[in-house]
Amino acid sequence: MAASGIGLILFCTMHLAGNLSLYLPEGSVFNAYTAKLEHLSLLLYVVEAGLVAVFLLHIVTAIQVTFANRRARGESYARGLKSKGGETKANVSSRYMIVSGLILLAFLIFHLWQLKFGPSEEAGYIAKLEGEDVRDLHRLVVETFQRPHNVALYVGVMLFLGLHLRHGFWSAFQSLGATNPRYSKPIYCTGVAVAALLAAGFLFIPLWIYFDVLGVYK
Amino acid sequence: MKLDAKSPEGPLARKWEKYRGEMKLVNPANKRKYTVLVVGTGLAGSSAAASLAELGYNVKSFCIQDSARRAHSIAAQGGINAAKNYSNDGDSIWRLFYDTIKGGDYRAREANVYRLAQESVNIIDQCVAQGVPFAREYSGELANRSFGGAQVSRTFYARGQTGQQLLLGAYSALMRQADLGHVEMFPRRELLDVVLIGGRARGIITRDLVTGKIERHAGDAVLLCTGGYGRVYFLSTNAMNSNATAIWRAHKRGAFFGNPCYVQIHPTCIPVSGDHQSKLTLMSESLRNDGRVWVPKKKEDLKKHPNEIPEDDRDYFLERKYPSFGNLVPRDVASRNNKEVCDEGRGVGASGRAVYLDFRDVIKRDGVKSIAEKYGNLFQMYEQITGENPYEVPMRIYPAVHYTMGGLWVDYNLMTTVPGLFAMGEANFSDHGANRLGASALMQGLADGYFVIPSTLGNFLGTVGPSKVSTDAPEFKAAEDAVRLGIAKLLKVSEKGKKTVTEFFRELGLVMWEYVGMARSEEGLKRALKTIPALREEFWRNVRIPGTGEEFNKELEMAGRVADFLELGELMAKDALHRKESCGGHFRVESQHPDGEAKRDDANFSYVAAWEWKGENAEHVLHKEELNFENAHPTTRSYK
Amino acid sequence: MSGGMNLNLIVWRQENAGEPGRMMPYKAENISQDMSFLEMLDVVNERLINEGKRPIEFDSDCREGICGACGIVINGQPHGPKRGCTTCQLHMRSFKHGDTIVIEPWRSRAFPVIRDLVVDRASFDRIIQAGGYISAKTGSHADANAILVPKDDSDKAMDAAACIGCGACVAACPNASASLFTSAKISHLALLQQGKAEAKARVTRMIERMDLEGFGNCTNIGECESACPKEISIDMIARMKREYLKAMFAPIPQQKADAAG
Repeated sequence: MAASGIGLILFCTMHLAGNLSLYLPEGSVFNAYTAKLEHLSLLLYVVEAGLVAVFLLHIVTAIQVTFANRRARGESYARGLKSKGGETKANVSSRYMIVSGLILLAFLIFHLWQLKFGPSEEAGYIAKLEGEDVRDLHRLVVETFQRPHNVALYVGVMLFLGLHLRHGFWSAFQSLGATNPRYSKPIYCTGVAVAALLAAGFLFIPLWIYFDVLGVYK
Repeated sequence: MKLDAKSPEGPLARKWEKYRGEMKLVNPANKRKYTVLVVGTGLAGSSAAASLAELGYNVKSFCIQDSARRAHSIAAQGGINAAKNYSNDGDSIWRLFYDTIKGGDYRAREANVYRLAQESVNIIDQCVAQGVPFAREYSGELANRSFGGAQVSRTFYARGQTGQQLLLGAYSALMRQADLGHVEMFPRRELLDVVLIGGRARGIITRDLVTGKIERHAGDAVLLCTGGYGRVYFLSTNAMNSNATAIWRAHKRGAFFGNPCYVQIHPTCIPVSGDHQSKLTLMSESLRNDGRVWVPKKKEDLKKHPNEIPEDDRDYFLERKYPSFGNLVPRDVASRNNKEVCDEGRGVGASGRAVYLDFRDVIKRDGVKSIAEKYGNLFQMYEQITGENPYEVPMRIYPAVHYTMGGLWVDYNLMTTVPGLFAMGEANFSDHGANRLGASALMQGLADGYFVIPSTLGNFLGTVGPSKVSTDAPEFKAAEDAVRLGIAKLLKVSEKGKKTVTEFFRELGLVMWEYVGMARSEEGLKRALKTIPALREEFWRNVRIPGTGEEFNKELEMAGRVADFLELGELMAKDALHRKESCGGHFRVESQHPDGEAKRDDANFSYVAAWEWKGENAEHVLHKEELNFENAHPTTRSYK
Repeated sequence: MSGGMNLNLIVWRQENAGEPGRMMPYKAENISQDMSFLEMLDVVNERLINEGKRPIEFDSDCREGICGACGIVINGQPHGPKRGCTTCQLHMRSFKHGDTIVIEPWRSRAFPVIRDLVVDRASFDRIIQAGGYISAKTGSHADANAILVPKDDSDKAMDAAACIGCGACVAACPNASASLFTSAKISHLALLQQGKAEAKARVTRMIERMDLEGFGNCTNIGECESACPKEISIDMIARMKREYLKAMFAPIPQQKADAAG
């Protein structure tokens, strides 16, 4: 879980880094970035396959672990458990990793269907880039985020991403034995910061576009 | 029957070496032909079972707890003595031997005690090799502290949890042998009888405490490592499940009971808070290294907050009366003095049965941090129980029953008067005489288990040779029937019984504490000898036990144990009555010096009293093992 | 220091492992603040016995917080509301007159209920059996001071070794994981020079055993540390994981078979 989790955090970071271009007024930068990715062709498939594997590993293990943990409890407590406080990391984030995880999974499928496998050149989403025809993914993104329900959905889900990473980041380090009394707290705090930054970075894209902060989309 | 201690001949320091040089050995290949039943998994039991299994014997290990790791040795706090002389303060094997003999008020067997002192050094090496995290200095070397009854620093410790760490060490050694298949574990089992075939111990009858099933186990030797009988007082520092049933039933099968009246009353325990009290909690003796014991000089000050009583109005009575040992006098002396000041009406707390143990001065000198490091967990425990913070308010302490020096009589081999039946640790009477020094119980338990029994049991088995017995033998059947009958009898009484086991237990405890406690008189003991049989009679007429014998039933377990205590208590009073001297933990008010110090009578009582059971309706018979002090010559024990 | 509290108890009653249990209401009357929680149950049991009913069974032995026998979930909190405290050390001054107290056994598939509040924790013994020791034979060893252990390591080892094996960590863990218990033993031995020789085999075997017993997985929630009466830190778990990875990526020189020889 931990290793695949770290892999996915890295993926999120790169994904966001690319998506930061959506904050720019010109759509061409984003389209250039996506086109670059497309041009990697075979290499891209390899990377994507790897990514799918990491995701699957993470998801399958998570589900297995959840079932195993349910089984391990057996009879449940009449009125649930109550924390005794102290240094515990118990909070909504840590307790409901599987819930936030499943929400992210559902979102992931939708997100791929909506954008990656959404309308492409055949549907007229064509942009000119250095004289070449490329997919105008930027237009698709902008159109998507001009619809309020999409914005609400994306913003909502990104909050869950934040929650998931808040525990996930630290947890991955702990599970890999990379924490020790001295670094435990800093790592936990870093985790909170990383979660907040990633979630915020993604979260503001739809808002940015919907509210047309730069006044470039009509 | 003549008691033969079988101490080897020769000079004291050479006896053990000579013994081991001449003893019979069992060929390594033959060891697996023997089965050894080890009952109890405290320090003595765990270490014995692990060591014997490692030698190659088949071992079956039994305990009443749900895990071997929970035996009551785990609660020992302060430390373990060893004559390592790491502190370079003049310690030696001889001095540890001498301190132990003297601390025991010259009522222990020299040869056993010397062997104990010799093995003490090996215990520390053994435990360190096993990973016991003893306290260390910044140099990485082991740290020592001093303990009552000694003027050298020879006590090794692991915070205030030395017993826990030593037991977990022995337990892990035992688990290793279980892993290798050399030991079979039987947790939640209670020994209810010892089976003798041809006069030799060949098996035990146990009850599975979960299902109630009565089981038979056969072996070549039986080792009782079942602890002491302090619970006979109901309130003690012993655990709820500590009991005398194993040794008492063995006693009824022919094992003599040695010095039953020698009971140690520990001076530093948390006082009783009410009738609901189920047990007492010890505050380690090590606290007396730094804490100062006092009561107000004037009775008018009793109502004052202790911190408001000025220095001049405090009576540091131990320091005043015993300038050279001060707060570190042996336990019996400290306990008696605590009782005395309370009897004078100067006791503190709501009940007036407590003295202060004050850390104000040492906190001022060394700071809170250093004290927290040494005693943090004890202070925390005290606060949890009393709701008071000992860093700010002095502790209130009072003596409580803690340890029984008496137990099954054993010879130098640790064998009882029943061949093949051994008793070790607190279950035997052997090494502490009439009073045990602090940090010596752990030493004895581990010496017996790790180093003594592997040799002496080998000698026994090597002598008798292998032979098989079947659990189908008529003796097994007879013993099992007797056990079943005993349980049935209890449950039969219970049909009409009105009083709970605890009510009887508490009553017995009060009688024992009042008349067979810290100060014993002829009159009181005679009263106890009337009261206890009457209580026993009532018990067998009026006890109420819920449930059946074929299920998990803690009340039934307890009933059996209380029934045994009701017999043992009487023997203790009898022994105390016959011993018309004061020695160690046994203080007869008729035998004291004008200044109130205990007066020993070596001319008439320099012997071990070993009592023989003669049957339900017959009197116990006294046998004497004369004690010869060729090396440590008895003197009046003085700590002034 | 007055007594006289009345409390409503809701207690899990179960005949044995095979039969289903249920929560039952009881009254505890005239309870003193100075009683321990178990002494309060003693009082209730005395009354039940006098009424001809079966008392509430629970494990307890030393009653001073060191043997690890006792353990009850009180209002959803293993060993009750106080931190760093076992059930036997919990005193009734933590409650007030009229309180309702829900009392349950440790809940874990690896700790089957024996009766009422008594559970079978033999799985812990089996975890220790799978290597929670140093294979030192009984007999002569190097002088104790021949092995120097830095005070810091020794103190840390003692922090880990303070575990009393009560099982509160499992009871408190939302996943019923035994990682804190297992890691405490692994850490204790891994921190000492003496324990290093067998470290790799130990961590591998103990973790395998822990999984086999049916405990859940650690997801680093930290409730175990919060409930632990000895306040053992989840840093131990990180150390266990580290030891495990070390063992995974480096060959184990000495397997169990050799150790047995």
